[in-house]
Amino acid sequence: MELELKQLRDRCIADLNDVNELKILDNVRIKYLGKKGELTIALKGMGKLSKEERPIIGKLANEVREEIEKALSHQKQVLEKKEIDARIKEEVIDVSLPGKKHLAGRLHPLTTTINELKEIFLGMGFSIAEGPEIEWAKYNFDFLNVPLDHSARDFQDTFYYEDDIVLRTQTSPVQVRVMENQKPPLRIISPGRVYRSDAIDATHSPVFHQMEGLVIDKGITMSDLKGTMDMFAKKLFGEQTKTKFRPHQFYFTEPSAEMDVTCFKCGGVGCKVCSNTGWIEILGCGMVHPNVLKICGIDPDVYSGFAFGMGLDRITMIKYGINDLRLLFENDLRFLSQFK
Amino acid sequence: MLVSLNWLKEYVNIKQSPYDFGECLTMSGTKVETLTIVSDVISDIYTGKIIKIDRHPNADKLVVCTVDLGTDKRIIVTAAKNIYEGAIVPVAVDGAVIANGTKLGVSDFRGIESFGMFCSIEELGMNTDLFSKEIMEGIYLLPEGTPIGMDIKELLWLDDVIIDVELTANRADCQSIIGIARESAATLNLPMEGFKTYSKVETNNEIVQYLNVTAESDLCERYIAKMLEVKKIEASPLWIQVKLLNSGVRPINNIVDVTNYVMLELGQPLHAFDYESLHSDRIVIKTTNDKEMVTLDAKERVLDSSMLMITNGITPVAIAGIMGGENSEITEATQQIILESACFNKSSVRLTAKKLGLRTEASARFEKGVDPELAMVAAMRATWLLEEIGACEVIEGLIDVYHHPVVSKKISLDVAWVNGFIGINLSESEMAALLRRLFFKVSSENSGILEIEVPSFRQDIEAREDLAEEVARIFGYDNIPSTIMGGTTMIGGKTAVQKYEDDLKSLLVGQGYFETLTTSFTSEKRLLGLNSPMPLDLVPLINPLGEENSIMRPSLVGHQLEVISLNYARKNPFGRFFEFSNTYRKNEAKDSLPYEEKKLVLSTYGNEDYFELKGMVELLCAHTGIKNPSFIAGGSEFLHPGRRALIYANDVVLGEIGEIHPLVVKNYELPKRTYVCEISFTALYESGTMEEKFVELPKFPGSNRDLAIQLKETIPAALVNDIIRKNGGNILESIELFDVYTGEQIPEGYKSLAYALNFRHQERTLNDDDINPVVEHILAELKSLLNAQLRE
Ligand SMILES: [Zn+2]
Repeated sequence: MELELKQLRDRCIADLNDVNELKILDNVRIKYLGKKGELTIALKGMGKLSKEERPIIGKLANEVREEIEKALSHQKQVLEKKEIDARIKEEVIDVSLPGKKHLAGRLHPLTTTINELKEIFLGMGFSIAEGPEIEWAKYNFDFLNVPLDHSARDFQDTFYYEDDIVLRTQTSPVQVRVMENQKPPLRIISPGRVYRSDAIDATHSPVFHQMEGLVIDKGITMSDLKGTMDMFAKKLFGEQTKTKFRPHQFYFTEPSAEMDVTCFKCGGVGCKVCSNTGWIEILGCGMVHPNVLKICGIDPDVYSGFAFGMGLDRITMIKYGINDLRLLFENDLRFLSQFK
Repeated sequence: MLVSLNWLKEYVNIKQSPYDFGECLTMSGTKVETLTIVSDVISDIYTGKIIKIDRHPNADKLVVCTVDLGTDKRIIVTAAKNIYEGAIVPVAVDGAVIANGTKLGVSDFRGIESFGMFCSIEELGMNTDLFSKEIMEGIYLLPEGTPIGMDIKELLWLDDVIIDVELTANRADCQSIIGIARESAATLNLPMEGFKTYSKVETNNEIVQYLNVTAESDLCERYIAKMLEVKKIEASPLWIQVKLLNSGVRPINNIVDVTNYVMLELGQPLHAFDYESLHSDRIVIKTTNDKEMVTLDAKERVLDSSMLMITNGITPVAIAGIMGGENSEITEATQQIILESACFNKSSVRLTAKKLGLRTEASARFEKGVDPELAMVAAMRATWLLEEIGACEVIEGLIDVYHHPVVSKKISLDVAWVNGFIGINLSESEMAALLRRLFFKVSSENSGILEIEVPSFRQDIEAREDLAEEVARIFGYDNIPSTIMGGTTMIGGKTAVQKYEDDLKSLLVGQGYFETLTTSFTSEKRLLGLNSPMPLDLVPLINPLGEENSIMRPSLVGHQLEVISLNYARKNPFGRFFEFSNTYRKNEAKDSLPYEEKKLVLSTYGNEDYFELKGMVELLCAHTGIKNPSFIAGGSEFLHPGRRALIYANDVVLGEIGEIHPLVVKNYELPKRTYVCEISFTALYESGTMEEKFVELPKFPGSNRDLAIQLKETIPAALVNDIIRKNGGNILESIELFDVYTGEQIPEGYKSLAYALNFRHQERTLNDDDINPVVEHILAELKSLLNAQLRE
């Protein structure tokens, strides 16, 4: 019996070693350990053994079973590994092949510029105000202190819908509307579309975009205007940016200024972007004219404020080095996909 | 405006380099655009006198000249025709450089060596546009008495720097040398030189024997007439000519040149009439009913009764402030002149110039506004000049029609207010000194208040803020500190709808859509391409830039199609686009602006279909919190009639979606399959709920049932969906249509829709007894309403 068991064990292990596929491994298990398996049958013969032999043979039988199971499990691992190795070998890919296309769209570069400017001013406590593009002439001109006989009101300069309704030539009417309808303190920016009767070329378009800003409060000074604009320029063009304020004239403001910033491209030494001046003109600004405050029902003896305005298309062109304004309105995908 | 630096230096002792001076002017408010040297290439060209002219022995067309250069005499061979013995000419000696960069040597002309050449104005580098053809083509002949051996650069101010300044609209007073000189003196804190005027004490009022002047219109604010007897009409002395040339004005003759000289110098336009051809002893300034006249430039001008004219009582002799008439022009034969120094209403001059399409140096100045007080100074300056250069003798007496003399403005200025407004801290005397530099009369008594009298030429100064600007700019904007705003703390930020728009843009960009930027204009012609009835509520412009830009767009679709057409033509194989923009509609209500409605447009082409775009719209709706938008067949005529839908959120129309109609595809040269969707941004926003609340995850398993339903092909799936939803009770969690099938096993004209229904209860696990009755109810309703069968 003892010999029989040992032979059985050796046969089984030999069988196992012959197995080279995982799915037939189970056949071996059934052949030896199944209900009608050889070991099971062999153990049924134990009844014939003597009382003394039984525990010895029983122990041996258990050892044989354990050995077989161990061998089975070992062979299973070997075969599994083999199978995985084979699969891996089969599944090798050329990792250098191109990835599948995921297409992201893009915001228009003008929107990206507007977003950047908005973020700067929102951070300083400004809100965004909007108003109609087709506007009363009085909001676009009269209330902004533009003289009645000024040529900006001419047909050559301004689009008219009716005698007293124009396509706004600036976003300043939004400021008037805000001043009329809200009480100071005010801090607003008004980005938007504006119109002037300019034929389209590399730097002009009858439709373009501006952002104006307005601050009204008690004790606002021209040095506040300078400080605010300087901070804005540094946030937009970088900490190293310097600003220069030149006196200018606007009907809406008095005193008025134009602000230049050091060229972000060359840092102020002179290059093509800044026409070799080292400076780039970026915005117009000034202290809100007392006539404008009065028209809007704000007492210039109590309140003061400043306003500023800039051309968004121009800033976009400067920022990205775009050389022709028409590209902004053309929407060629090869253009649109260049900007993040 | 062009300003000669040399001329300016006659008034202010400018010591800086031109560049530094330009920077100073710019920083005090007179923006310097460019600095240009008149002729910076030439060298070694001197004045020489031709002593003798001999024929060239070997060439008929050449002559041999002996030229006196003061230091030496030399031979110069030339082919020039306009020279004569005794002529003084510019001589480029050997070694000289002429304007085109050529360096001269000694040349041999058929056996005779020439030691230089005579120069034309072009060779000197002067502006050829400012000379007659006759002068331009020959050697430039200098006036008799010109010193010999003088460097031509110095003589003709060719080393002068021309400063191009950009003037702001309010500074009419700066349109002159004297105006810029005042700014320069104030900026540099330097004194300013005066100028000579005719100041003889006259005893006889002779002029009244010749002339009287009536101003019949208030548009004439002042009219000064001075008469002079002509001695000789000839070319002006060189010093007058060079100043005109360096200001961009063509020299004509001594009398006309003096009027131009004074205009450039003082900013007062002047005009000289030939007294004889006036054929009258009076000047009447009025509007007339004349229909036409010929101006000095020999052009016939069409007049109307709004235009202010200078007349001889009957016939116009000049258009006030713009240009004189040919009929009273100064000629060689002129014996007496009337010198007009006047001030006309600026709007009137502007409108007349505009109507005539004739803008002159004079009208440009009047349009901005000329100080009426200047007229007298200018008349006296011109009279002095005409006498000084020997052109005229003065007829005594003067006519000055000046009904409403300007009153000088007086403003009290609170020093503390200025300091507070600008953010500086000047003492009363410092502030007074700054203002005095600008020629304000300032009385200061240490009371904190400056009493200021505004000089008449500063018509732009009206209020304390104007004076604050004067103080600030002379103090220097650069010297004002930069401070952080005080006052109330403000939170600011975007409104909900502004945030929402930004959100949608991010969503679209993430899905591969590109934002476009198109103009707001369209036209009837462009709209016709959409094959749709012309909207009745269009917003046309009165003065558009061409037909194609004549209407404010009622829809964003046309522009998207143009974008796709362009990209398709440029071989970009596919594209997804979007734009948020306003559309415009007429408003019939009285005293109202047109309607402006913000819309969102989406468009796609190339490897796209209706359902891709619809999926995007559904995503937008889901993002907005619109639960079940419906797509109901229908829409505008530019869409494919079988592939278009109106989009609803409950009962509100959000917009429409579809494939572009084949005819429109043709009109716009689009790819065959182009898709577009236009949605009202406001309707979309208002139909949504932006609230985001946490909903607990389900605790009990759901149960799935698949139903394949056979029904007539023409019945929209949306209807089936609605019926299922309506009858699914509160345990029906979701419905998904996962297959649409026609073909084998399905009768002709029918289709099969396969739905996956998911049922779930929040508080317990559902079993068949819960679900089966619901499914049966749904099937029964589908059968009775749509005659739809369950396919086994
Ligand atoms: Zn640069």
